[in-house]
Amino acid sequence: MSEGAPTLREFLDAWDLFRDPVITGMCAGLLLGYLGVFIVLRRMVFVSAALSQAAALGVSLTFLADVLGLLPKSLAEPVGGALLFALGAMAFFMRNTEKFRLTREGLLGLGYLLGASGAVLVGDRITQEAHDVSAILFGPGVVVRTVDFYLTVGTAAVLLPLHLLMQRGLIFTSFDEQSARVQRLPVARLNFFLFLSIGVAVAFTTHAIGAMSVFAFSVLPAMTALALSHRLGLVLILSPALGLACGGGGYLLAFLYRFPVGASQTMLACACCGIAMLVAAVRNRD
Amino acid sequence: MAALIDCRKLVVGYGGVPMLPCIEVDIEPGVFCCVVGRNGSGKSTWFKTVLGLIPPVSGEVIHKPGLRIAYIPQRLAYDAIYPLTVREVVSMGLLKAGGFLGIPRIRDGEIQPALESVDAWKLRAQIFHSLSEGQKQRVLFARALVADPEVAFMDEPTAAMDVVAQREMLMLVDCIRRERKMAVVMVNHELSVATHYAEQVFLVDRTTNVVVSGTAREVFSSPTFAELYGQEKANDLMKELEHVECDLRTAEHKGHTHDHDHDHGSHA
Repeated sequence: MSEGAPTLREFLDAWDLFRDPVITGMCAGLLLGYLGVFIVLRRMVFVSAALSQAAALGVSLTFLADVLGLLPKSLAEPVGGALLFALGAMAFFMRNTEKFRLTREGLLGLGYLLGASGAVLVGDRITQEAHDVSAILFGPGVVVRTVDFYLTVGTAAVLLPLHLLMQRGLIFTSFDEQSARVQRLPVARLNFFLFLSIGVAVAFTTHAIGAMSVFAFSVLPAMTALALSHRLGLVLILSPALGLACGGGGYLLAFLYRFPVGASQTMLACACCGIAMLVAAVRNRD
Repeated sequence: MAALIDCRKLVVGYGGVPMLPCIEVDIEPGVFCCVVGRNGSGKSTWFKTVLGLIPPVSGEVIHKPGLRIAYIPQRLAYDAIYPLTVREVVSMGLLKAGGFLGIPRIRDGEIQPALESVDAWKLRAQIFHSLSEGQKQRVLFARALVADPEVAFMDEPTAAMDVVAQREMLMLVDCIRRERKMAVVMVNHELSVATHYAEQVFLVDRTTNVVVSGTAREVFSSPTFAELYGQEKANDLMKELEHVECDLRTAEHKGHTHDHDHDHGSHA
Protein backbone atom coordinates (compact mmCIF):
# COMPACT_ATOMS: atom_id res chain seq x y z
CA MET A 1 0.00 0.00 0.00
CA SER A 2 1.26 3.53 -0.79
CA GLU A 3 1.86 6.09 1.95
CA GLY A 4 -0.65 8.61 0.50
CA ALA A 5 -4.44 8.35 0.63
CA PRO A 6 -5.58 4.82 -0.19
CA THR A 7 -6.99 4.40 -3.68
CA LEU A 8 -9.70 2.30 -5.25
CA ARG A 9 -7.03 0.37 -7.15
CA GLU A 10 -5.35 -0.58 -3.88
CA PHE A 11 -8.73 -1.71 -2.56
CA LEU A 12 -9.30 -3.89 -5.59
CA ASP A 13 -5.75 -5.23 -5.49
CA ALA A 14 -6.30 -6.33 -1.89
CA TRP A 15 -9.79 -7.72 -2.63
CA ASP A 16 -8.93 -11.14 -1.20
CA LEU A 17 -8.31 -9.47 2.14
CA PHE A 18 -11.47 -7.37 2.05
CA ARG A 19 -13.81 -9.79 0.35
CA ASP A 20 -15.27 -11.40 3.47
CA PRO A 21 -15.99 -8.20 5.44
CA VAL A 22 -17.44 -6.50 2.36
CA ILE A 23 -19.70 -9.45 1.57
CA THR A 24 -20.66 -9.66 5.26
CA GLY A 25 -21.61 -5.97 5.30
CA MET A 26 -23.54 -6.31 2.05
CA CYS A 27 -25.45 -9.41 3.20
CA ALA A 28 -26.26 -7.74 6.54
CA GLY A 29 -27.47 -4.65 4.68
CA LEU A 30 -29.55 -6.76 2.30
CA LEU A 31 -31.23 -8.75 5.06
CA LEU A 32 -31.75 -5.88 7.50
CA GLY A 33 -32.85 -3.60 4.66
CA TYR A 34 -35.64 -6.04 3.82
CA LEU A 35 -36.69 -6.64 7.44
CA GLY A 36 -36.43 -2.89 8.03
CA VAL A 37 -39.46 -2.27 5.79
CA PHE A 38 -41.63 -4.17 8.26
CA ILE A 39 -39.83 -2.59 11.23
CA VAL A 40 -40.52 0.93 9.92
CA LEU A 41 -44.07 0.20 8.73
CA ARG A 42 -44.97 -1.30 12.10
CA ARG A 43 -43.50 1.77 13.79
CA MET A 44 -41.03 -0.16 15.90
CA VAL A 45 -37.75 1.34 14.73
CA PHE A 46 -36.21 1.16 18.19
CA VAL A 47 -36.72 -2.60 18.31
CA SER A 48 -33.56 -3.21 16.31
CA ALA A 49 -31.61 -0.63 18.36
CA ALA A 50 -32.71 -2.27 21.61
CA LEU A 51 -32.09 -5.78 20.25
CA SER A 52 -28.61 -4.94 19.01
CA GLN A 53 -27.74 -3.52 22.44
CA ALA A 54 -29.14 -6.65 24.09
CA ALA A 55 -27.01 -8.73 21.72
CA ALA A 56 -23.97 -6.60 22.63
CA LEU A 57 -24.68 -7.24 26.32
CA GLY A 58 -24.94 -10.96 25.55
CA VAL A 59 -21.53 -10.88 23.86
CA SER A 60 -19.96 -8.93 26.74
CA LEU A 61 -21.37 -11.31 29.32
CA THR A 62 -20.08 -14.29 27.36
CA PHE A 63 -16.61 -12.75 27.37
CA LEU A 64 -16.91 -12.08 31.10
CA ALA A 65 -18.10 -15.62 31.82
CA ASP A 66 -15.14 -16.90 29.80
CA VAL A 67 -12.66 -14.68 31.69
CA LEU A 68 -14.09 -15.76 35.04
CA GLY A 69 -14.08 -19.39 33.98
CA LEU A 70 -17.85 -19.73 34.46
CA LEU A 71 -18.35 -21.34 31.07
CA PRO A 72 -16.49 -24.22 29.43
CA LYS A 73 -14.38 -23.01 26.50
CA SER A 74 -16.62 -24.88 24.09
CA LEU A 75 -19.68 -22.89 25.21
CA ALA A 76 -18.01 -19.49 25.53
CA GLU A 77 -19.06 -18.42 22.06
CA PRO A 78 -19.99 -14.71 21.86
CA VAL A 79 -22.47 -15.30 19.02
CA GLY A 80 -24.39 -17.69 21.27
CA GLY A 81 -24.61 -14.98 23.94
CA ALA A 82 -25.75 -12.46 21.34
CA LEU A 83 -28.48 -14.80 20.07
CA LEU A 84 -29.68 -15.73 23.55
CA PHE A 85 -29.98 -12.12 24.72
CA ALA A 86 -31.48 -10.84 21.45
CA LEU A 87 -34.18 -13.52 21.42
CA GLY A 88 -34.83 -13.04 25.15
CA ALA A 89 -35.22 -9.30 24.59
CA MET A 90 -37.53 -9.93 21.61
CA ALA A 91 -39.72 -12.21 23.73
CA PHE A 92 -39.86 -9.46 26.37
CA PHE A 93 -40.81 -6.77 23.83
CA MET A 94 -43.58 -8.96 22.37
CA ARG A 95 -45.32 -9.17 25.74
CA ASN A 96 -48.51 -7.29 26.47
CA THR A 97 -47.22 -3.98 27.84
CA GLU A 98 -50.47 -3.00 29.55
CA LYS A 99 -49.79 -5.15 32.59
CA PHE A 100 -46.66 -3.06 33.26
CA ARG A 101 -48.66 0.14 32.79
CA LEU A 102 -46.07 1.10 30.16
CA THR A 103 -46.07 1.76 26.44
CA ARG A 104 -44.06 -0.44 24.08
CA GLU A 105 -41.77 2.54 23.37
CA GLY A 106 -41.04 2.73 27.08
CA LEU A 107 -40.09 -0.94 27.22
CA LEU A 108 -37.87 -0.52 24.16
CA GLY A 109 -36.13 2.43 25.81
CA LEU A 110 -35.58 0.35 28.93
CA GLY A 111 -34.20 -2.53 26.85
CA TYR A 112 -31.88 -0.24 24.90
CA LEU A 113 -30.48 1.46 27.99
CA LEU A 114 -30.13 -1.82 29.88
CA GLY A 115 -28.21 -3.39 27.00
CA ALA A 116 -26.02 -0.35 26.29
CA SER A 117 -25.09 0.40 29.89
CA GLY A 118 -24.69 -3.27 30.73
CA ALA A 119 -22.31 -3.84 27.80
CA VAL A 120 -20.19 -0.85 28.84
CA LEU A 121 -20.13 -1.90 32.51
CA VAL A 122 -19.23 -5.49 31.68
CA GLY A 123 -16.64 -4.28 29.15
CA ASP A 124 -15.05 -2.23 31.92
CA ARG A 125 -14.33 -5.45 33.83
CA ILE A 126 -12.79 -7.34 30.92
CA THR A 127 -10.06 -5.09 29.69
CA GLN A 128 -8.44 -7.82 27.61
CA GLU A 129 -11.56 -8.11 25.45
CA ALA A 130 -12.43 -4.41 25.57
CA HIS A 131 -11.50 -4.05 21.92
CA ASP A 132 -13.97 -6.82 20.95
CA VAL A 133 -16.73 -5.23 23.01
CA SER A 134 -16.01 -1.85 21.46
CA ALA A 135 -16.11 -3.42 17.98
CA ILE A 136 -19.54 -4.84 18.70
CA LEU A 137 -20.87 -1.50 19.89
CA PHE A 138 -19.32 0.73 17.23
CA GLY A 139 -18.45 -1.63 14.38
CA PRO A 140 -15.56 -3.98 13.79
CA GLY A 141 -12.22 -3.24 12.22
CA VAL A 142 -11.08 -4.27 8.79
CA VAL A 143 -11.69 -8.00 9.07
CA VAL A 144 -14.54 -10.24 10.23
CA ARG A 145 -14.21 -13.63 11.80
CA THR A 146 -14.95 -16.54 9.50
CA VAL A 147 -17.78 -17.70 11.75
CA ASP A 148 -19.44 -14.26 11.53
CA PHE A 149 -19.06 -14.26 7.76
CA TYR A 150 -20.78 -17.62 7.41
CA LEU A 151 -23.47 -16.84 10.00
CA THR A 152 -24.40 -13.55 8.31
CA VAL A 153 -24.41 -14.95 4.78
CA GLY A 154 -26.23 -18.10 5.95
CA THR A 155 -28.86 -16.14 7.90
CA ALA A 156 -29.57 -13.95 4.87
CA ALA A 157 -29.69 -17.00 2.59
CA VAL A 158 -32.24 -18.74 4.83
CA LEU A 159 -34.39 -15.84 6.03
CA LEU A 160 -34.84 -13.90 2.81
CA PRO A 161 -36.43 -16.76 0.82
CA LEU A 162 -38.65 -17.57 3.80
CA HIS A 163 -39.74 -13.94 3.97
CA LEU A 164 -40.47 -13.87 0.25
CA LEU A 165 -42.59 -16.98 0.76
CA MET A 166 -44.59 -15.32 3.56
CA GLN A 167 -44.67 -11.85 2.01
CA ARG A 168 -48.38 -11.68 1.20
CA GLY A 169 -49.41 -12.81 4.64
CA LEU A 170 -46.91 -10.56 6.41
CA ILE A 171 -48.01 -7.47 4.47
CA PHE A 172 -51.69 -8.12 5.20
CA THR A 173 -51.01 -8.91 8.87
CA SER A 174 -48.93 -5.75 9.25
CA PHE A 175 -51.48 -3.51 7.51
CA ASP A 176 -54.69 -4.87 9.03
CA GLU A 177 -54.13 -7.52 11.70
CA GLN A 178 -57.77 -7.82 12.76
CA SER A 179 -59.08 -8.41 9.25
CA ALA A 180 -56.30 -10.94 8.68
CA ARG A 181 -57.45 -12.79 11.81
CA VAL A 182 -61.08 -12.71 10.66
CA GLN A 183 -59.94 -14.19 7.33
CA ARG A 184 -58.31 -17.00 9.32
CA LEU A 185 -54.72 -16.18 8.48
CA PRO A 186 -52.27 -17.58 11.07
CA VAL A 187 -51.53 -14.10 12.41
CA ALA A 188 -49.84 -15.22 15.64
CA ARG A 189 -47.51 -17.54 13.74
CA LEU A 190 -46.72 -14.91 11.12
CA ASN A 191 -45.93 -12.35 13.83
CA PHE A 192 -43.80 -14.90 15.67
CA PHE A 193 -41.88 -15.64 12.48
CA LEU A 194 -41.32 -11.93 11.82
CA PHE A 195 -40.10 -11.19 15.34
CA LEU A 196 -37.99 -14.34 15.51
CA SER A 197 -36.31 -13.53 12.21
CA ILE A 198 -35.62 -9.95 13.35
CA GLY A 199 -34.14 -11.29 16.61
CA VAL A 200 -31.92 -13.83 14.83
CA ALA A 201 -30.83 -11.37 12.15
CA VAL A 202 -29.97 -8.68 14.67
CA ALA A 203 -28.09 -11.10 16.95
CA PHE A 204 -25.86 -12.51 14.22
CA THR A 205 -25.26 -9.27 12.35
CA THR A 206 -24.53 -7.30 15.53
CA HIS A 207 -21.57 -9.57 16.23
CA ALA A 208 -20.42 -9.26 12.62
CA ILE A 209 -20.85 -5.56 11.81
CA GLY A 210 -21.61 -3.82 15.12
CA ALA A 211 -24.70 -2.42 16.80
CA MET A 212 -24.57 0.96 15.09
CA SER A 213 -24.58 -0.46 11.57
CA VAL A 214 -27.31 -2.95 12.50
CA PHE A 215 -29.58 -0.16 13.73
CA ALA A 216 -28.75 1.94 10.68
CA PHE A 217 -29.44 -0.85 8.17
CA SER A 218 -32.68 -1.87 9.81
CA VAL A 219 -34.14 1.65 9.67
CA LEU A 220 -32.48 3.97 7.15
CA PRO A 221 -32.77 1.99 3.86
CA ALA A 222 -36.48 1.39 4.53
CA MET A 223 -37.04 5.07 5.34
CA THR A 224 -35.16 6.02 2.15
CA ALA A 225 -37.20 3.62 0.03
CA LEU A 226 -40.49 4.77 1.56
CA ALA A 227 -39.58 8.39 0.87
CA LEU A 228 -38.75 7.58 -2.76
CA SER A 229 -41.57 5.23 -3.71
CA HIS A 230 -45.33 4.99 -3.29
CA ARG A 231 -45.34 1.31 -4.22
CA LEU A 232 -44.80 -1.25 -1.48
CA GLY A 233 -43.55 -3.80 -3.99
CA LEU A 234 -40.83 -1.37 -5.10
CA VAL A 235 -40.03 -0.41 -1.50
CA LEU A 236 -39.44 -4.09 -0.71
CA ILE A 237 -36.87 -4.25 -3.53
CA LEU A 238 -35.32 -0.80 -3.09
CA SER A 239 -34.74 -1.04 0.66
CA PRO A 240 -32.64 -4.25 0.68
CA ALA A 241 -30.79 -2.98 -2.43
CA LEU A 242 -29.90 0.22 -0.57
CA GLY A 243 -28.87 -1.79 2.49
CA LEU A 244 -26.62 -3.91 0.29
CA ALA A 245 -25.10 -0.82 -1.35
CA CYS A 246 -24.50 0.93 1.97
CA GLY A 247 -22.95 -2.22 3.44
CA GLY A 248 -20.40 -2.45 0.62
CA GLY A 249 -20.10 1.28 -0.11
CA GLY A 250 -19.59 2.15 3.54
CA TYR A 251 -16.74 -0.32 3.73
CA LEU A 252 -15.12 1.18 0.65
CA LEU A 253 -15.45 4.72 2.05
CA ALA A 254 -13.93 3.55 5.31
CA PHE A 255 -10.95 2.18 3.37
CA LEU A 256 -10.52 5.22 1.15
CA TYR A 257 -10.81 7.82 3.90
CA ARG A 258 -9.49 5.72 6.80
CA PHE A 259 -12.74 5.97 8.74
CA PRO A 260 -14.20 3.41 11.14
CA VAL A 261 -16.30 0.95 9.11
CA GLY A 262 -19.53 1.08 11.16
CA ALA A 263 -19.65 4.88 11.19
CA SER A 264 -18.95 5.01 7.44
CA GLN A 265 -21.75 2.56 6.65
CA THR A 266 -24.14 4.45 8.92
CA MET A 267 -23.20 7.86 7.49
CA LEU A 268 -23.66 6.61 3.93
CA ALA A 269 -27.12 5.28 4.81
CA CYS A 270 -27.94 8.61 6.49
CA ALA A 271 -26.81 10.49 3.36
CA CYS A 272 -29.05 8.33 1.16
CA CYS A 273 -31.97 8.95 3.50
CA GLY A 274 -31.31 12.70 3.53
CA ILE A 275 -31.24 12.85 -0.28
CA ALA A 276 -34.46 10.81 -0.46
CA MET A 277 -36.15 13.16 1.99
CA LEU A 278 -35.14 16.14 -0.16
CA VAL A 279 -36.47 14.41 -3.27
CA ALA A 280 -39.74 13.62 -1.49
CA ALA A 281 -40.06 17.20 -0.25
CA VAL A 282 -39.50 18.59 -3.77
CA ARG A 283 -42.01 16.11 -5.23
CA ASN A 284 -44.64 17.01 -2.64
CA ARG A 285 -44.10 20.72 -3.28
CA ASP A 286 -44.84 20.13 -6.96
CA MET B 1 -83.72 -20.57 7.50
CA ALA B 2 -80.55 -21.65 9.31
CA ALA B 3 -78.75 -18.84 11.15
CA LEU B 4 -75.32 -17.79 9.87
CA ILE B 5 -74.19 -16.97 13.38
CA ASP B 6 -75.77 -18.20 16.58
CA CYS B 7 -74.82 -16.60 19.92
CA ARG B 8 -75.75 -19.09 22.61
CA LYS B 9 -75.80 -17.77 26.18
CA LEU B 10 -72.96 -15.52 25.12
CA VAL B 11 -71.32 -13.41 27.80
CA VAL B 12 -68.72 -10.96 26.52
CA GLY B 13 -66.01 -9.16 28.42
CA TYR B 14 -62.28 -8.96 29.00
CA GLY B 15 -60.06 -11.13 31.15
CA GLY B 16 -62.96 -13.29 32.31
CA VAL B 17 -64.88 -10.25 33.62
CA PRO B 18 -68.39 -9.96 32.07
CA MET B 19 -69.22 -6.63 30.46
CA LEU B 20 -72.82 -7.30 29.38
CA PRO B 21 -75.56 -9.70 30.43
CA CYS B 22 -76.07 -13.01 28.67
CA ILE B 23 -76.87 -12.53 24.96
CA GLU B 24 -78.95 -14.86 22.79
CA VAL B 25 -79.06 -13.62 19.23
CA ASP B 26 -78.98 -15.09 15.73
CA ILE B 27 -77.73 -13.46 12.54
CA GLU B 28 -79.96 -14.68 9.72
CA PRO B 29 -78.95 -14.69 6.03
CA GLY B 30 -79.50 -11.35 4.29
CA VAL B 31 -80.45 -9.42 7.41
CA PHE B 32 -79.35 -5.83 8.11
CA CYS B 33 -78.47 -5.73 11.79
CA CYS B 34 -77.50 -2.51 13.55
CA VAL B 35 -75.61 -2.57 16.82
CA VAL B 36 -76.24 0.63 18.75
CA GLY B 37 -75.16 1.96 22.10
CA ARG B 38 -73.28 4.84 23.63
CA ASN B 39 -69.48 5.19 23.77
CA GLY B 40 -67.97 2.43 25.89
CA SER B 41 -71.25 0.53 25.96
CA GLY B 42 -69.68 -2.78 24.90
CA LYS B 43 -70.65 -2.69 21.20
CA SER B 44 -67.12 -3.33 19.98
CA THR B 45 -66.54 -6.04 22.57
CA TRP B 46 -69.63 -7.92 21.40
CA PHE B 47 -68.63 -7.33 17.79
CA LYS B 48 -65.09 -8.65 18.29
CA THR B 49 -66.29 -11.63 20.29
CA VAL B 50 -68.69 -12.66 17.53
CA LEU B 51 -65.87 -12.28 15.00
CA GLY B 52 -63.61 -14.49 17.13
CA LEU B 53 -61.10 -11.71 17.82
CA ILE B 54 -61.54 -12.01 21.58
CA PRO B 55 -62.71 -15.07 23.51
CA PRO B 56 -66.15 -15.08 25.20
CA VAL B 57 -66.32 -15.02 28.99
CA SER B 58 -68.87 -17.83 28.74
CA GLY B 59 -71.30 -19.27 26.22
CA GLU B 60 -70.43 -19.74 22.60
CA VAL B 61 -70.60 -18.23 19.15
CA ILE B 62 -71.49 -20.82 16.53
CA HIS B 63 -70.70 -20.00 12.91
CA LYS B 64 -72.37 -21.93 10.10
CA PRO B 65 -69.78 -24.40 8.77
CA GLY B 66 -67.66 -22.76 6.06
CA LEU B 67 -69.18 -19.35 6.72
CA ARG B 68 -67.56 -16.58 4.66
CA ILE B 69 -67.13 -13.50 6.86
CA ALA B 70 -65.82 -10.10 5.85
CA TYR B 71 -64.75 -7.45 8.32
CA ILE B 72 -64.37 -3.72 7.78
CA PRO B 73 -62.62 -2.19 10.81
CA GLN B 74 -62.84 1.46 11.73
CA ARG B 75 -60.84 3.65 9.35
CA LEU B 76 -58.52 4.64 12.21
CA ALA B 77 -57.18 1.08 12.16
CA TYR B 78 -55.17 1.93 9.03
CA ASP B 79 -51.79 3.57 9.20
CA ALA B 80 -51.17 6.19 6.52
CA ILE B 81 -47.51 5.18 6.22
CA TYR B 82 -48.33 2.07 4.13
CA PRO B 83 -47.72 2.75 0.42
CA LEU B 84 -50.50 0.49 -0.86
CA THR B 85 -52.57 0.98 -3.96
CA VAL B 86 -56.31 0.38 -4.06
CA ARG B 87 -55.68 -2.82 -6.07
CA GLU B 88 -53.33 -4.12 -3.38
CA VAL B 89 -55.77 -3.34 -0.57
CA VAL B 90 -58.71 -4.99 -2.36
CA SER B 91 -56.59 -8.05 -3.24
CA MET B 92 -56.06 -8.66 0.49
CA GLY B 93 -59.68 -9.70 0.69
CA LEU B 94 -58.81 -12.79 -1.34
CA LEU B 95 -56.22 -14.04 1.16
CA LYS B 96 -57.26 -16.84 3.45
CA ALA B 97 -55.74 -19.52 5.65
CA GLY B 98 -53.36 -21.58 3.55
CA GLY B 99 -53.54 -19.11 0.68
CA PHE B 100 -51.31 -16.38 1.99
CA LEU B 101 -47.94 -17.64 0.76
CA GLY B 102 -45.89 -15.98 -1.93
CA ILE B 103 -45.32 -12.52 -3.31
CA PRO B 104 -48.52 -10.46 -3.76
CA ARG B 105 -50.04 -11.08 -7.18
CA ILE B 106 -52.90 -8.98 -8.39
CA ARG B 107 -55.25 -10.28 -11.00
CA ASP B 108 -57.53 -7.48 -12.10
CA GLY B 109 -60.16 -9.97 -13.19
CA GLU B 110 -60.65 -11.09 -9.59
CA ILE B 111 -61.04 -7.62 -8.09
CA GLN B 112 -62.74 -5.77 -10.92
CA PRO B 113 -66.34 -6.91 -10.19
CA ALA B 114 -66.07 -5.90 -6.52
CA LEU B 115 -64.54 -2.51 -7.34
CA GLU B 116 -67.10 -1.87 -10.08
CA SER B 117 -69.97 -2.75 -7.76
CA VAL B 118 -68.92 0.08 -5.42
CA ASP B 119 -68.11 2.37 -8.36
CA ALA B 120 -64.39 2.49 -7.49
CA TRP B 121 -62.75 0.69 -10.43
CA LYS B 122 -61.37 4.01 -11.67
CA LEU B 123 -59.52 4.40 -8.37
CA ARG B 124 -57.63 1.11 -8.68
CA ALA B 125 -54.18 2.61 -9.37
CA GLN B 126 -54.41 5.29 -6.68
CA ILE B 127 -52.68 5.16 -3.32
CA PHE B 128 -55.22 4.10 -0.70
CA HIS B 129 -54.34 6.86 1.75
CA SER B 130 -54.66 9.57 -0.87
CA LEU B 131 -58.41 8.88 -1.14
CA SER B 132 -61.23 10.74 0.59
CA GLU B 133 -62.92 9.05 3.56
CA GLY B 134 -65.90 8.08 1.42
CA GLN B 135 -63.66 6.58 -1.27
CA LYS B 136 -61.65 4.67 1.34
CA GLN B 137 -64.81 3.11 2.74
CA ARG B 138 -65.92 2.11 -0.76
CA VAL B 139 -62.55 0.45 -1.34
CA LEU B 140 -62.73 -1.36 2.01
CA PHE B 141 -66.25 -2.45 1.15
CA ALA B 142 -64.92 -3.77 -2.17
CA ARG B 143 -62.23 -5.66 -0.25
CA ALA B 144 -64.99 -7.22 1.83
CA LEU B 145 -67.04 -8.11 -1.27
CA VAL B 146 -64.19 -9.63 -3.25
CA ALA B 147 -64.43 -12.92 -1.34
CA ASP B 148 -68.23 -13.07 -1.81
CA PRO B 149 -69.05 -13.02 1.93
CA GLU B 150 -72.29 -14.28 3.43
CA VAL B 151 -72.02 -11.73 6.24
CA ALA B 152 -70.14 -8.43 6.46
CA PHE B 153 -69.26 -6.86 9.80
CA MET B 154 -68.78 -3.10 9.56
CA ASP B 155 -67.45 -1.04 12.44
CA GLU B 156 -68.74 2.53 12.09
CA PRO B 157 -68.21 2.66 8.33
CA THR B 158 -69.56 6.19 7.98
CA ALA B 159 -67.50 7.81 10.74
CA ALA B 160 -65.67 10.97 9.59
CA MET B 161 -67.82 11.25 6.43
CA ASP B 162 -69.95 14.23 5.53
CA VAL B 163 -73.73 13.76 5.48
CA VAL B 164 -73.96 13.23 1.71
CA ALA B 165 -71.13 10.69 1.67
CA GLN B 166 -72.72 8.90 4.65
CA ARG B 167 -76.05 8.57 2.88
CA GLU B 168 -74.43 7.39 -0.34
CA MET B 169 -72.36 4.81 1.49
CA LEU B 170 -75.31 3.43 3.46
CA MET B 171 -77.49 3.23 0.35
CA LEU B 172 -74.70 1.41 -1.45
CA VAL B 173 -74.28 -1.09 1.39
CA ASP B 174 -78.02 -1.72 1.54
CA CYS B 175 -78.32 -2.06 -2.24
CA ILE B 176 -75.48 -4.56 -2.49
CA ARG B 177 -76.76 -6.46 0.53
CA ARG B 178 -80.10 -6.95 -1.23
CA GLU B 179 -78.50 -7.90 -4.52
CA ARG B 180 -76.19 -10.46 -2.97
CA LYS B 181 -78.51 -11.55 -0.15
CA MET B 182 -75.64 -10.82 2.19
CA ALA B 183 -76.15 -10.15 5.90
CA VAL B 184 -74.71 -6.91 7.27
CA VAL B 185 -73.90 -6.34 10.92
CA MET B 186 -73.04 -2.70 11.47
CA VAL B 187 -71.96 -0.76 14.52
CA ASN B 188 -73.11 2.82 14.14
CA HIS B 189 -73.50 5.80 16.43
CA GLU B 190 -76.13 7.29 14.14
CA LEU B 191 -79.44 5.91 15.40
CA SER B 192 -81.22 7.06 12.24
CA VAL B 193 -79.25 4.40 10.35
CA ALA B 194 -81.23 1.83 12.30
CA THR B 195 -84.55 3.49 11.49
CA HIS B 196 -83.79 3.66 7.78
CA TYR B 197 -82.05 0.37 7.10
CA ALA B 198 -82.04 -2.13 9.95
CA GLU B 199 -84.34 -5.13 10.18
CA GLN B 200 -82.76 -6.12 13.45
CA VAL B 201 -81.47 -3.71 16.09
CA PHE B 202 -79.25 -4.67 18.95
CA LEU B 203 -78.97 -2.14 21.81
CA VAL B 204 -76.25 -2.73 24.38
CA ASP B 205 -75.34 -0.72 27.44
CA ARG B 206 -72.61 -1.66 29.82
CA THR B 207 -73.39 0.88 32.56
CA THR B 208 -76.99 -0.22 33.05
CA ASN B 209 -76.13 -3.80 32.14
CA VAL B 210 -78.84 -4.21 29.51
CA VAL B 211 -79.13 -5.76 26.09
CA VAL B 212 -82.26 -5.25 23.98
CA SER B 213 -82.77 -6.81 20.58
CA GLY B 214 -85.64 -6.74 18.12
CA THR B 215 -86.91 -4.61 15.24
CA ALA B 216 -86.15 -0.88 15.26
CA ARG B 217 -89.72 -0.25 16.43
CA GLU B 218 -89.40 -2.70 19.31
CA VAL B 219 -86.05 -1.34 20.48
CA PHE B 220 -86.80 2.39 20.15
CA SER B 221 -90.18 2.04 21.89
CA SER B 222 -88.70 0.06 24.78
CA PRO B 223 -88.51 1.68 28.24
CA THR B 224 -84.80 0.83 28.33
CA PHE B 225 -84.12 2.95 25.25
CA ALA B 226 -86.06 5.90 26.66
CA GLU B 227 -84.15 5.56 29.91
CA LEU B 228 -80.79 5.61 28.12
CA TYR B 229 -81.42 8.24 25.43
CA GLY B 230 -84.43 10.15 26.80
CA GLN B 231 -88.10 9.97 25.84
CA GLU B 232 -87.77 12.88 23.43
CA LYS B 233 -85.12 11.07 21.37
CA ALA B 234 -87.23 7.91 21.43
CA ASN B 235 -90.25 9.88 20.15
CA ASP B 236 -88.18 11.49 17.38
CA LEU B 237 -86.93 8.12 16.21
CA MET B 238 -90.41 6.63 16.24
CA LYS B 239 -91.66 9.53 14.09
CA GLU B 240 -88.72 9.01 11.72
CA LEU B 241 -89.54 5.33 11.57
CA GLU B 242 -93.16 6.10 10.68
CA HIS B 243 -92.01 8.40 7.86
CA VAL B 244 -89.74 5.69 6.51
CA GLU B 245 -92.52 3.10 6.66
CA CYS B 246 -94.93 5.52 5.02
CA ASP B 247 -92.42 6.23 2.23
CA LEU B 248 -91.99 2.52 1.67
CA ARG B 249 -95.74 1.89 1.51
CA THR B 250 -96.04 4.71 -1.02
CA ALA B 251 -93.21 3.30 -3.09
CA GLU B 252 -94.74 -0.18 -2.95
CA HIS B 253 -98.07 1.23 -3.98
CA LYS B 254 -96.47 2.85 -7.02
CA GLY B 255 -94.75 -0.41 -7.83
CA HIS B 256 -91.30 1.09 -7.40
CA THR B 257 -90.07 -1.59 -5.11
CA HIS B 258 -89.75 -5.29 -5.72
CA ASP B 259 -88.73 -6.28 -2.28
CA HIS B 260 -91.62 -7.47 -0.13
CA ASP B 261 -89.51 -9.43 2.35
CA HIS B 262 -88.80 -6.58 4.71
CA ASP B 263 -91.04 -5.01 7.22
CA HIS B 264 -89.82 -1.45 6.73
CA GLY B 265 -87.96 0.91 4.50
CA SER B 266 -84.60 0.73 2.91
CA HIS B 267 -83.70 4.12 1.55
CA ALA B 268 -83.19 7.47 3.16
